[in-house]
Amino acid sequence: MRNNHSPAQPGEYKLIELLAVAGAREIQDGEVVFAGTGLPMLAVTLAQKTGAPRASIIYEAGSMDGRPAHLPSSVGDARCEYRASVSSGLFDVFGQLQRGVVDLAFLGGAEIDRYGNVNTTAIGGDYYHPAVRLTGSGGNPDINSLARRTVFIMVQEKRRFKEQVDYVTSPGWRVKKWPGGEWVTRREAFGSAFRGGPVAVITSMAVFRFDEETGEMYLDTVHPGVTVEDVENNVGFDLDVSRCRGETPPPTYHELYLLRNVIDPEGLFLGR
Amino acid sequence: MAKKDKRMSIQEAVQLINDGDMITFSGFTIWRRPMAIVYEMVRQRKKNLHLIEVNSGTHGEVLIGAGCVKVLETCWIGHELYGKVGANAARKLKSGELLIEDYSHVHMIMRFAAGAMGVPYLPTRASLGTDILNPQYDVLGKYGLRDGSNPRIPRRKFEFLADPFFGEQGDIIHVPAARPNVCIAHVQQVGDEGTVRVFGQRYSDAEAIKAADKVIVVAEEIVPEEVIRQEPTANLIPHYLVDAVIEQPWGAHPTGCFGYYEVDGQFIRDFYNKTRTQEGFDAWAEEWILKVNSFDEYLYKIGFRRLDTLRANSSYKYSTRVKRGA
Repeated sequence: MRNNHSPAQPGEYKLIELLAVAGAREIQDGEVVFAGTGLPMLAVTLAQKTGAPRASIIYEAGSMDGRPAHLPSSVGDARCEYRASVSSGLFDVFGQLQRGVVDLAFLGGAEIDRYGNVNTTAIGGDYYHPAVRLTGSGGNPDINSLARRTVFIMVQEKRRFKEQVDYVTSPGWRVKKWPGGEWVTRREAFGSAFRGGPVAVITSMAVFRFDEETGEMYLDTVHPGVTVEDVENNVGFDLDVSRCRGETPPPTYHELYLLRNVIDPEGLFLGR
Repeated sequence: MAKKDKRMSIQEAVQLINDGDMITFSGFTIWRRPMAIVYEMVRQRKKNLHLIEVNSGTHGEVLIGAGCVKVLETCWIGHELYGKVGANAARKLKSGELLIEDYSHVHMIMRFAAGAMGVPYLPTRASLGTDILNPQYDVLGKYGLRDGSNPRIPRRKFEFLADPFFGEQGDIIHVPAARPNVCIAHVQQVGDEGTVRVFGQRYSDAEAIKAADKVIVVAEEIVPEEVIRQEPTANLIPHYLVDAVIEQPWGAHPTGCFGYYEVDGQFIRDFYNKTRTQEGFDAWAEEWILKVNSFDEYLYKIGFRRLDTLRANSSYKYSTRVKRGA
């Protein structure tokens, strides 16, 4: 018999709702989460209203554990500060991040490689004359390198899942150690500053995770209606699909109710 | 001692900015940017500016599109939800008219903190293993700007050092101080002698203002010093650090101002869509900057109805009437 906590059926939810739910399920109660604009806001707010009511969120513009009455449109938004514990500025929140208080980070990216290196800076051509110039790093590499776990949320396309990204904006499990540029493990590059790294990539088609030994990405679950072959066709490197556990659990009716009627009734990120 | 009157017009304040100056701003992406000053900088045709910012946004895109900027040092440029990249910066980077030096958010805030406290650099562990640290991507170095001829440009982009105190493993990155000529800030309130009060998130305002040699403050309201000093713990910047004070209500439009008004997302999206090409930018600038003689005239053109919809609710500190979603 179906009830509010039954899984919704394909066709009853949108992709973005599935992604928000998948993101929310990465958050454990009591954690301190550092998140960016958009989907991460939906995921964290949903987690706070379901399994992780004591999770706190830091937005990089300077608010700590806001409990917005209306969904913020960006991290600088006055809505982030509503019922916040503290509202200050960048030096404060990034200092706390570097100090080690952040458990989980939610970030985005335009390109990713098999080790979880992410590009949000420039694509094509060379760095000095790129075909496409993007926003630049923002806080992405800082948050990713100083939190214990990072979850990336991205669009799944072959051109975005590359053997090697054009510019490493944000570090994965194998990185270059500068100024020499030799490839080393993240642990080696970070030394005493090592705390963890990317644990999941949630895309429009699947959820990926990383092997603890090799740091290589593998397929964990495919979204309902997507096949393993579909995913392989949209990844530009040899992907380990042998550990696929099946389907990404769909949203429940209760989660959909919260997303649509409580968290984003304006359709800011969910649309209409 | 008689105190110098710091109050002036927007036009006079912009005359304090010289071609080639290194400039920074208050605010965060599309929040509390000094747009009234930025538009006047375009009207006065400022040239060869070197923007140094923790992050950039709509204001940076206007200055870059207008050809005022030669160098942008930052971690980010775009319009958040209302324009996914800085299209003017991207176009001018490709044409060779603009140099972009990439740092991370933490790198930039540490650079400003160093500038604000008068030390040449500060250490951080953020963003190890990224191409931001790749010596081949030192843009100012590649173009010969780190030769010491400009004392505000450091001789190196980064320095890598081992921890000398605790013997911790791994590199410590030293980032050079940001030392701008001018900080242009938009805030909610300023006393008539220059004491600054910011409501809501302070972003990196304190560091940006203290790192700069010259400080121009535009406020929604100029209030009596004796009133703003009744609650000094609420104030951010002492009056003696401020050189110019201007009252300009709505002066951050189309960016938002906590407690006063919302981001005008529709306006920013329209700017983003129309200024992807230089011809598009020129037409937009003609309409919204060059054909209006003052910021007040710009506000009349925006219209009362639209501004009133953006006006913040006094309890929530943001507008509850603006249509934001799909």
